[in-house]
Amino acid sequence: MATTASHCPYCALQCAMSLQTGADLPEQQVDHRPPVGIGSRDFPTNRGGLCKKGWTSAELINSAGRVTTPLRRVGSEFVPVGWEQALDDIADRLRSIGERHGKDAVGVFGGGGLTNEKAYQLGKFARIALGTSMIDYNGRFCMSSAAAAGNRAFGIDRGMPFPVSDLDGAQTILLVGSNVAATMPPFIGHLEGTRERNGLIVVDPRRSETARLTDDGGGLHLQPVPGTDLVLLLGITHIVLNEKLYDEHYVQTRTVGWEGVRRSVAQWWPQRVQEVTGAPTGQLREVAHRLAGGRGTYILTGRGIEQHVDGTDTVTAAINLSLLLGLCGRPGSGYGTLTGQGNGQGGREHGQKADQLPGYRKITDPQARAQVAAVWGVDPDRLPGPGVPATELLGRLGEQIKALLVHGSNVVISAPDAGAVARRLAQLDLLVVCDFFCSETAAHADYVLPVTQWAEEEGTMTNLEGRVLRRRRAIEPPQGVRSELWIMAELAQRLAAPGVWDTEAAAVFDELARASAGGIADYSGLSHELLDTEVEAYWPYPSGSAGTPRLFAERFAHPDGRAVMVPVRSRRHAPRPVATDELTLVTGRLLEHYQSGAQTRRVEELRSARPQADLQIDPATAQRLGIAEGDPGAISNLRGEVFARAELSTGIRIDTVFLPFHFGGRQTANALTEAVVDPISAMPEFKRTQVSVRRADPVEVQG
Amino acid sequence: MRVVLVGYGPVGARFVEEVLPAVETGRIDLTVVGAEPEQAYNRVLVSEFAANKVDRRALDIIDAEAVAATGVRVLTGTAVTAIDRTARRLTLGDGQSLGYDRLVLATGARAHVPALAGLSQVEASTDPAVPADDRQVRGLPAGIVGLRDLADAEVVARAVSDRRRILVLGGGVLGTEAALAMADQGAEVVLIHSGPVPMARNLDHGGGQALARAARRAGVIMLGDFRATGVICEPVPGEGARFGALLGEDGERIPGDLLVLSAGVRARVGLAAAAGLPTAAGILVDPSLRSWADRSIFAIGDCAHVATGRVGAGAESVPGGPRGLIGPGWRQAEFVAAQLVAEAGRAGGPVLPETEERPPVVMLKADGVDVLAAGRVMADPWDSGSHALGCSGGVEVSQWVDPARGAYVKLVTVDDVLEGFVCVGMPRVGAELTVLYNGQAELPTDRSVLLRLDAPALTTGGAVDRFAPEAVVCWCNGVVVKSIMDGVAAGDDSVECVGRRTRAGTGCGGCRGRIAELIGRQATVG
Repeated sequence: MATTASHCPYCALQCAMSLQTGADLPEQQVDHRPPVGIGSRDFPTNRGGLCKKGWTSAELINSAGRVTTPLRRVGSEFVPVGWEQALDDIADRLRSIGERHGKDAVGVFGGGGLTNEKAYQLGKFARIALGTSMIDYNGRFCMSSAAAAGNRAFGIDRGMPFPVSDLDGAQTILLVGSNVAATMPPFIGHLEGTRERNGLIVVDPRRSETARLTDDGGGLHLQPVPGTDLVLLLGITHIVLNEKLYDEHYVQTRTVGWEGVRRSVAQWWPQRVQEVTGAPTGQLREVAHRLAGGRGTYILTGRGIEQHVDGTDTVTAAINLSLLLGLCGRPGSGYGTLTGQGNGQGGREHGQKADQLPGYRKITDPQARAQVAAVWGVDPDRLPGPGVPATELLGRLGEQIKALLVHGSNVVISAPDAGAVARRLAQLDLLVVCDFFCSETAAHADYVLPVTQWAEEEGTMTNLEGRVLRRRRAIEPPQGVRSELWIMAELAQRLAAPGVWDTEAAAVFDELARASAGGIADYSGLSHELLDTEVEAYWPYPSGSAGTPRLFAERFAHPDGRAVMVPVRSRRHAPRPVATDELTLVTGRLLEHYQSGAQTRRVEELRSARPQADLQIDPATAQRLGIAEGDPGAISNLRGEVFARAELSTGIRIDTVFLPFHFGGRQTANALTEAVVDPISAMPEFKRTQVSVRRADPVEVQG
Repeated sequence: MRVVLVGYGPVGARFVEEVLPAVETGRIDLTVVGAEPEQAYNRVLVSEFAANKVDRRALDIIDAEAVAATGVRVLTGTAVTAIDRTARRLTLGDGQSLGYDRLVLATGARAHVPALAGLSQVEASTDPAVPADDRQVRGLPAGIVGLRDLADAEVVARAVSDRRRILVLGGGVLGTEAALAMADQGAEVVLIHSGPVPMARNLDHGGGQALARAARRAGVIMLGDFRATGVICEPVPGEGARFGALLGEDGERIPGDLLVLSAGVRARVGLAAAAGLPTAAGILVDPSLRSWADRSIFAIGDCAHVATGRVGAGAESVPGGPRGLIGPGWRQAEFVAAQLVAEAGRAGGPVLPETEERPPVVMLKADGVDVLAAGRVMADPWDSGSHALGCSGGVEVSQWVDPARGAYVKLVTVDDVLEGFVCVGMPRVGAELTVLYNGQAELPTDRSVLLRLDAPALTTGGAVDRFAPEAVVCWCNGVVVKSIMDGVAAGDDSVECVGRRTRAGTGCGGCRGRIAELIGRQATVG
């Protein structure tokens, strides 16, 4: 039996795993078993453990639904087609659409699950092979608010500016809007010490699996009204200031702008915060005092507070609080955001974002353009300007945008107002989806191009701590399956694109490293060869350095070295009378599924544990609506209607219901969410949607 | 467009903030005139400042430098003495004059000075720099203050730190808050109110009882059913008369070092009234906050009395009055700012706010004494009639009384939506009721569900059975007690065996101890 050291294909924790192959692999005795086994591998983030998604991930490799040959739509059917023919036709159609409607008529939609090499190459492909500015990715739905807030506060966006194992010694951890127990379970190993010290504080409108970790004296759970996190954080900041719990010396020497923050929170005295959030003043005070307790405090944010139209400001409030307490850059304390997707961190650094070039540089910066253009071998003037963010890009489909290439994303499930997205996809002249399964989005495609899975490819991923990791090939992909690097190279050649289009990940990485040199996310000192020594590669890792496990010890990444505290205001706190039959819908995740579920719904053990979307609802609310446990429920608003089985739970507020967003068809939670976005980050509102709920007729559910 | 704001309290400050963008682009030329020598500060926290619980900086509410840099002229320590509505000019205390196109009055309210023997002879201040509305308060003898502004607060703060005996006259929200804050800082405080319970305007009898008991427990000396009739002031060499004691109708004499008047407030309407604007409990404005008599003048906050204007109606008979709360005042400031910004940009104005705002939630600001109330609370559980017959649409009253633990809750609903509530001593319940009341959400049929929010089982998990069959042991792999026990019964005798069969313990590893515990338990049982 041979083993290959790699990492899990799913979330940003990127747990280490060992891929076992060989004739003596016990499981291969049964025909349908995967050609690779998953073994434990020790690593600081997961310490040998995996969650059930990781343990079962090998089943994806020879899953029955795997696409193993290019598919072309003929009428309402897909027919297999050869690679040459598919690529020739796609290139022809892309060229003619560009000629007829302008280059921006071709859009590219990437994903936070792509390796650094693919994400980099995709950005380059859009800019110089297609010549389009219209590229963005699903990280817009994931990390954009935290990224925007981090950039303006620290001048850099590395989700956790410290190794995750630093959390082990913390006295107090405030987890705002993150359900790690379901989304990246092995992470909770790093909360154990804090729980033993009774110091875990979880803010979530649901009594989530993570909130329940505060039981038995483990800490404290605050259950605010959905969408009031900003006010909650302003209120805690108010107490920290008024009760003089802040670090005056740190604030004076390491930050700018705190006077403005002080004035901006003056109006959020505890009673007023209680009125808006429903969190009692006593709890607010307790949180403030615990955070200021001084023996190692971390504040961590997640999608719960970020996926809102005021997500950037909410994260900013969390950062301001961290800065006032003097946490950032101090050993044993800090602020971080928990990146979601597998390569959500690296995916946002190397050019998939509408306004960015590799190395986390602005596409509007002439110096960055010149440098990257030189690496790519083109004239800087050939590079397009900034495009538009994901939700707006999807809103242009069928209008300004006539063709779309989708990589590592399932927008029909994951984008807001998903019904409208599906309708717009149908109006495209050309939709090409690269995937290993015929996802709900691929089902709309003109071409589905089958690509390699993690165990079949080489590359790098950057985990939630900003550590660059190697993904390694353990087995050969099925015949007929290609890597996206190869697909881009082939298309680039057919489009007569300038530049070099390597198909080996190591070579693409070397190019990425050069293109990132001197940027914020500088990878220039790294290579596959170096990473293969298992070096601890935290970026920035400029050539000649040994990387940066911990940021901000001396200075922040702004020119004056100081962190910027930006005063933020809540603009939607006024009590709003709602129709009495309306409830607030919060969407989120389950332990068993990852993202749109395109992969995990195909794993028997995961599917049978969570085969459908259940509607979490308080028993008293359900009783009022005439809904009993297990009844079919219809959840609706102006945009759509979703059917889900009622799961009664006192772990949710009586004015709130919860749906997981991992499911498709009539269970697509995002059919209800609205395509409104944060003005700074363009993050959509996923966690505060008004809906009506009723008991559905079983016939409707089947329909 | 020249806009002048008179009054620079928290409502005025909010107005300034909202119009700043239009000032920046030059569409609005803004002048602010404030009578106090300070930049705007957060009056809501004045009683906490008075009790030395927060410092002066905590009261700052506006970025004065940013406001000035934008080009707003701020005249502090300046009174407006007259409005010439025809010429659209103001006369200032220093004799200067100031023209306007639109005038916004945010003059607020002053402490009401009750009719007490010994105070009626006090001469009003004659200082022209003091607005007419404030001359009576400013002329009070030493040792008697209202508690409205920083000058008052500083007097009270000194008395608190000098451990003086302080009498608070008036058991409303502000008086009760001030007394509790001072007691919390170690002062000897007597709270004197005329009815049987404090906060009688907001609370029913049960709620008032619960509050009185909580206040006593917090160290406040509660003196109810006391009708104050006069004050005794003693001459002090060098500083004139100084407060010595409060007198009751039966001749009782309550000695004290400081008397804090908290017997209500009166809108500052003097300036408006002198200019011929109609006033009642405040400056009369229509729902768009424009004066009944002059379309170029607005009033917001504590000085504004919103009512639909009727020609010929006697101003004295207009029902309602200023709310006296900051939330509605801020919403008015935002609304008028939006109107003026739109007018200056020749755009359409904002949509009129709901005229029928619900009575706001009143919340006592005090550590450890949780009191919340809103709306109709006087109904009796047994009087309300229709619910007993099971008819829909009736008033329903539910009540929970637990004096030993200081808890009291009353819910008054119509069609299952809260019309009013009182909540004492149950912080989480009170916070939740506030949200439900403001959102007009339908309550669960079983109201007692709401009462359990403060239960220890929900907050600490103390009552959760860790060995219940469905209790989760391994979060990473979603494994419950039952799955593990099934395996153990079938012979899994180590954590590793359990892990191989169920995956429990193969994630973060945090549950391995508990798995061992479960195996041991089975061994004991078996």
